Amino acid sequence: MKTDPTFWLLARASGLTAYAALTASVLAGIVLKSRPLRSLRQAAVVDTHRFVALLGLGAIALHGTTLLLDRTVPLRPLALVVPGLSTYRPAAVAAGVVAAELMLLVYVSFALRRRIGVANWRRLHWTTYAIFAAATVHGLAAGTDSTRPWALSIYLGAVGSVAAAAAWRSLAVPLDPQRRTTR
Amino acid sequence: MTTVYRIHVDRSLCSGFGSCVDEAPGAFSLENGVAIAVATSRDASVLAAADACPMGAITVTCEELEDAA
Repeated sequence: MKTDPTFWLLARASGLTAYAALTASVLAGIVLKSRPLRSLRQAAVVDTHRFVALLGLGAIALHGTTLLLDRTVPLRPLALVVPGLSTYRPAAVAAGVVAAELMLLVYVSFALRRRIGVANWRRLHWTTYAIFAAATVHGLAAGTDSTRPWALSIYLGAVGSVAAAAAWRSLAVPLDPQRRTTR
Repeated sequence: MTTVYRIHVDRSLCSGFGSCVDEAPGAFSLENGVAIAVATSRDASVLAAADACPMGAITVTCEELEDAA
């Protein structure tokens, strides 16, 4: 009997969608903090940052669900929440599980910012860079499309743009508060 | 009727993004990395400032005042 590839296709597509959304959210977050373009409305950037992160979490949920429904990669439900339980490329899958759980934590922390304190909220937000790195490793090492040129170009584009934006942020940040402190 | 906007900045939430200063420079400024605001403003741009705050630290309440004859 021929296997229906629908879930397998959805699993791969949702994984890449989640990665693209995470990348976009990280970039929007950096733009929010270091504002390279004055003409960009901050409110629109805030909305984009949050919405794309939520979209990413939705894509991750679809990614996990469709991987369970498909038989190509044998996965138990528990392996989707506990890092290291997967028999398929355990380390690479664990990186994805940890990235997804941390991403959810960072997303939820916004609602809890008053309770945990802004300083802690900000510290937690710094893990976003680690989340992005873990997601990249997960995609490259666990993904079955990683060797294809189109997939590699997605990873290369994402890493390149986030690295460039982060470098820009670290160089540009000291300029702003000085100018703004004067009343 | 004139609308007056009463502004409150939750200083425990403010992270000094400065979006409010961008949106309504007449009502907000940053001092030592924390936003401070005038108590009231008649400029509707303070609504955009509250909307733009990434931390949701700004509350604006509207009050309708009768115009003096």
